[in-house]
Amino acid sequence: MFEIKRDENGTISLHGRLDASQVDSARAVFSLVTESCEVDFAELSYISSAGLGLLFGTQKKLVDSGGGLTLTNLSPHIREIFQIAGFDNIFEIA
Amino acid sequence: MAAVSGEFRREIEAIGEVFAFLETFADGQEIDEKTAFCINLVVEELFTNMVRHNEGGGDRITLSIERRNDRLHLELVDFDVEPFDPETAEVPPVESGIENRRPGGLGIYLVKKMVDELKYDYETGDRRMRISVTKTLEN
Repeated sequence: MFEIKRDENGTISLHGRLDASQVDSARAVFSLVTESCEVDFAELSYISSAGLGLLFGTQKKLVDSGGGLTLTNLSPHIREIFQIAGFDNIFEIA
Repeated sequence: MAAVSGEFRREIEAIGEVFAFLETFADGQEIDEKTAFCINLVVEELFTNMVRHNEGGGDRITLSIERRNDRLHLELVDFDVEPFDPETAEVPPVESGIENRRPGGLGIYLVKKMVDELKYDYETGDRRMRISVTKTLEN
């Protein structure tokens, strides 16, 4: 299962497993992001290249306009995937 | 030694069934959490790659997984497809900043980084593609 929420501060929270079959529901939220915001990974247990690609596309759009995503509370396994993918050079990871 | 195999619909939406299959195997073998995460990702990337890039192929993809001591051996077989050797996949510039990165190309790269060995073979007679990987348990 995967769930995505955006609160009144604009923070996006990811819950569950973001795999290729769930990425469209995440895209529906990220496509509305037009300025810098936080993405909370605290409840996310899994992500694959489908989710990474979505985050990359959003970041590219924001960086081009001077902003960016801040990623928080990554699990050790997900942080390792980000490091292998070189995404620690691309995102601010708090 | 334990081995199981299954057949799955050649659709992205079937990935949930693939994960359930892997979870049952991992629970039965007391696979550690990090290795379980890794095999989920490796199988998802290979499975979705087959679904996306082999349009017109057969309607099933088979997945086998076997444990031999501290190593896991996984194999995915796709039928009636064109050859696609993962070794030929472009390597993304992971050391680069975002200005020099493009979307895509990460799936096979992650697989190669996370397994000990990846083998590919293709049989022209029945147009069968087989990808097998070996992964040592983390704990």
